[in-house]
Amino acid sequence: MISKTFIKETKELFREGRVRISLFIVLLLLGVAVWISAKQYQNINEQYAMAKTAEREVWDNQGEKNPHSAAHYGTYAFKPKYPLSLVDQGVDKYAGTSIFLEAHKRNEAQFSAAADQTGLARFGDLTPDFILLFIIPLLIILLGYNSFTKESEMGTLTLLKSQGISSFSWMMGKWSALFFPIFVKTAVLFLIAGIVLNNLNDFGVFNWTSLGVMFLVYIGYYIIFINIVLLISSLVKKSGISLVLSLCVWILACLAAPKAASNIAESKHPYPTRQEFAANVLKDKKEGLDGHDPWSKESKLLEKKVLQEYGVDSLHQLPFNFSAYRMQKGEEHEAEVYFKHYNYLKEQYANQSKVYRNLAAISPYLPTRFLSMAIASTDYDTHWDFADAAETYRIATQKFLNDNTAQNTRYGERGYKASANFWQQLPAFAYEPPELDTVLHRNSSNMMVLGIWLFASFGLMFFTTKII
Amino acid sequence: MFSYNFKYELKLLLRSRWIQLLSLVLLLIFGFATYNGLQKVEKRKSDILAAKNEVKENDEMMLKLLDSVERGLSVNASPWTIPTSPMAVGTYHPRVAAMEPRPMAFLSTGQADLFTHFVKPTVRSDAFDLNFTEMTSPVQLLFGSFDLAFVVIYLLPLLIIAFSYNVLSAEKESGSLRLLAAQPIRIQSWVLQKLGLRFFWLVLLVVVSLILVFVVLRLDFLSEFSTFLGLVGLILAYTLFWFAIAFLVNLWVGSSAKNAVALLGLWVTFVLLIPSVLNQLGNTIYPMPSRNLMINEMRSLKAEVTERQDEILDNFLRDHPEYALNDSTQARGFYHRYMASQKLIREELAPLVNSFEEQLQKQQNWIARYKWLSPAVLSQESLNKMAGTAKSDYEDYRKQVVAFAEKWREHLIPFLYNNQDFTQADYGDLPSFDYQTKSNNPWMVIIAILLMSIGLFATGFVLSKNRGRNIILNQG
Amino acid sequence: MIITNNLTKKYGDQIALDQLTLKVGEGEIYCLLGANGAGKSTTINLLLGFTEPTSGNASINQLDVHKNPKATKQLLAYIPENLMLYPSLTAVENLDYFSGISGKKLSTPILKDFLEEAGLQSEAFDKRISAFSKGMRQKVGIAIALAKDAKVLLLDEPTSGLDPKASNEFGQLLQKLRDKGVATLMATHDLFRAKEIGTHVGIMKDGRLKQEFIVDNITLNELEMFYLDTMTYKEETL
Repeated sequence: MISKTFIKETKELFREGRVRISLFIVLLLLGVAVWISAKQYQNINEQYAMAKTAEREVWDNQGEKNPHSAAHYGTYAFKPKYPLSLVDQGVDKYAGTSIFLEAHKRNEAQFSAAADQTGLARFGDLTPDFILLFIIPLLIILLGYNSFTKESEMGTLTLLKSQGISSFSWMMGKWSALFFPIFVKTAVLFLIAGIVLNNLNDFGVFNWTSLGVMFLVYIGYYIIFINIVLLISSLVKKSGISLVLSLCVWILACLAAPKAASNIAESKHPYPTRQEFAANVLKDKKEGLDGHDPWSKESKLLEKKVLQEYGVDSLHQLPFNFSAYRMQKGEEHEAEVYFKHYNYLKEQYANQSKVYRNLAAISPYLPTRFLSMAIASTDYDTHWDFADAAETYRIATQKFLNDNTAQNTRYGERGYKASANFWQQLPAFAYEPPELDTVLHRNSSNMMVLGIWLFASFGLMFFTTKII
Repeated sequence: MFSYNFKYELKLLLRSRWIQLLSLVLLLIFGFATYNGLQKVEKRKSDILAAKNEVKENDEMMLKLLDSVERGLSVNASPWTIPTSPMAVGTYHPRVAAMEPRPMAFLSTGQADLFTHFVKPTVRSDAFDLNFTEMTSPVQLLFGSFDLAFVVIYLLPLLIIAFSYNVLSAEKESGSLRLLAAQPIRIQSWVLQKLGLRFFWLVLLVVVSLILVFVVLRLDFLSEFSTFLGLVGLILAYTLFWFAIAFLVNLWVGSSAKNAVALLGLWVTFVLLIPSVLNQLGNTIYPMPSRNLMINEMRSLKAEVTERQDEILDNFLRDHPEYALNDSTQARGFYHRYMASQKLIREELAPLVNSFEEQLQKQQNWIARYKWLSPAVLSQESLNKMAGTAKSDYEDYRKQVVAFAEKWREHLIPFLYNNQDFTQADYGDLPSFDYQTKSNNPWMVIIAILLMSIGLFATGFVLSKNRGRNIILNQG
Repeated sequence: MIITNNLTKKYGDQIALDQLTLKVGEGEIYCLLGANGAGKSTTINLLLGFTEPTSGNASINQLDVHKNPKATKQLLAYIPENLMLYPSLTAVENLDYFSGISGKKLSTPILKDFLEEAGLQSEAFDKRISAFSKGMRQKVGIAIALAKDAKVLLLDEPTSGLDPKASNEFGQLLQKLRDKGVATLMATHDLFRAKEIGTHVGIMKDGRLKQEFIVDNITLNELEMFYLDTMTYKEETL
């Protein structure tokens, strides 16, 4: 009986103009979106590769130079675009792409694409994630809002009732008829995306498993929408009301909730302004050791401690250059200060995330959005990960440079220059985004919320709709 | 017919609880949006105030230090931070260059969450390393803000659609249309009157709830009355546009369901698709140069300049003989070389930095040409400008700050090259930053949208002349 | 007075109405009989100006329907097969609205008089239409005609779905209007009601008016016989 209903519904759907036209339009939009994103992806990664090699060349060819001058001169860590960003751009547009790594200072990633664009950028982009997250749910509403209401409006309901069909199989038939075209369409999109990515010059992290998991997340999201739309259609008498109600759900879930969540998150757990943040860091830095300042109280304390440790009574007797040692200790103190302040930011963000999770109770869009970005390595967590990796690398670089001075010079010696081939000994910065397992583990709460939505909507649909 | 339509439309709307529901919804979303906007403005103001107070305290410390030094006392501070050095003043005692919010800043977040509202340019700052982006979680930037502009641009049309999609089709579907059509009236005029009345009630509710929200939140909108009028005018025009679309669809399409689908499709087109396609086309036609590649160029230049510092300083002094005349000591230190080479770097990088501005300008011009395709784009831009949070406002602010940084540097550089100490007496002459806002006028956009709407209404009238009869006969 | 002159309506090749010529004078009730698709509804739609004739013309009180749509609508009242009014408005309010938009401003007592004249119980005057039966809604429809002071009444299957009592009452109402000089054209399947209240009867088939009778001149049995004959006529000729 399920299959009978399924076949009848599918026939009805495909014989209707609105369905054919809307399916066609959505496919067209998807095609354009994938094409634009693929071009952008290639373009950005070419620039990335160029910038990375050029930057390393600049570093390697510094010539003879004092290591600490080189530390101030610094180097850059560039963030590549990951393959699945083709499907979900996530926060990429709003997060910086390059971090300046220099002595004494942890810098934030700078040059986000959004800052270089016109105000229109805030309307959103025609990217696959826009279609996947906004338009396809709209399509589901369009296809399904009158699934049940039409039966009573056309008067076929009484006839159906008299045929003794069971509620369950009737519902399942309608459900699968709605699910089938959505499933096929999404599958085709992901397949195309996979093929495109396989053929693009990828950067080694694309795998089909991630794409598959992402596909499952979206299918789950659509199932939730299908359930909601069918639930509304079965509870309401008129098609018009069913349509308006389903649309309200869409507006609330996809438009209003994320924005409201962002406002609430910000007012409850605000970030400091850039200037405030810098001022706070500066204050804490001043309270500790400054590697450049031999006269400060902290410098004197360090001096005493080191002299005691080595059992000597003058800095000249130490087996290394104390100035460079102090520089490194200062560096370590500063790194700690940054660690503390960036941790505060992370804490604020973790608190904000809780707000998003709580509001996911009214919006299945939120957990889907977060999961999708996470799998695509375009979420904020991955950005943090990248920034942390860059910071670890920066600290290691400072140690590498200070150690060189400490070992190769004596205390009081000035004008030391490291040899021209020294710079190449610094290992290159390498960053791999987290593995799928880690990502999923990190997002277990989002998966749980999505799961709850899935089961709750199924449950509601089956237990509250006793139409026949 | 009008007075009867007026009387009974109101009765029907009240009895179907539409007006009550709409008032409640409008009050809620306007209230929430305005509250959010105000909170952001409050934070912005208090951040700026805190920064200014901090500078004030710092200045007092500086003056105390200067006083001690001038009286020959020994001071407890790192030698390079003592403010007798003009570069210490220029680096450690910068002024706050703040972008104070406009009175109507709460209207639209615009780019306010992306960009910072105050910076403190030092003598070392240039267009290049002044960071104008704000520290915001990118998730928030992605989701955007629930502000009044969002309510007006995105949600209001959806309310209008829900309010008007079945004006004609419901009559057709319930069967009362045939009876109506047998009366001596024109169906087009009747639909127009019905929609006109709904427009009237909607606008009335919008304005009343807006005023109510403003009054409850103690907003002084009367002192900014012309901007408030602009806001109301814009909302009115934008609303009228959507009613015109609804009018066309009502006459053109058929059943309630088809109307709703068509209107929704138009909403997606005007509010989501056209803006994003315009933006992406702008980016494709006038692509931004790569920031990463810019970094490369800047790096090579800096590396080269560092090697030639002495030579650069010599050249600089040759170009500025006045410094040699005024300075008896002729002492040359780190800052002399550094500032001279920074100047060179600035000059050499200027074309590169300008290339971003030029490209952005081209994109903006391109969008300015095609923004007329979507009243949503027009209205958003207008609201941003009223709020002073448009991209152009931040560009303008950035330019003013860069100019101020230059002024700050130019003020202190003579001290440096004349090897002249900074004294308490010089404190009063330090330049300060004053943000100049551009005036803006939303009326052109309002008139444009009004004309568009009238055009749509006229089209509806002319083209539906022959359809009047078919509307009645095609049942369902 | 309703006059049609060679009134013809084609949809593509299909002829919906073929050269209809008829006249309904003041104080006459003309009943159009015929199967579904015979052209009865097309005739009414043409008289209402809902659709344009391919050729020929129709007039109401000497005014051409298609040249003077507003003026002729002022003269006529129409009750569709399933008369739907605004469910959330009361009987008085519906009457007020419909007469109001046709340009008649009437006070509430006068509106109530019309409703009473149309036979609606006074308890129902201020009740919402959503609770009304079809018969009650049709009484409001008659009240609209009365309030408008209509000279011509167009009815589309008015008695279908009415119980015999309501149907009878409706017939009496029509006779009352006839006595006031209203010209009524009524499309119906109901031979019995046509014989009882009609003054003239026409039988239509395939868009043509096949036969016309003056009701007083024939019995109900004869009418039924003629009707069935006309309906089966085609088969005989083939």
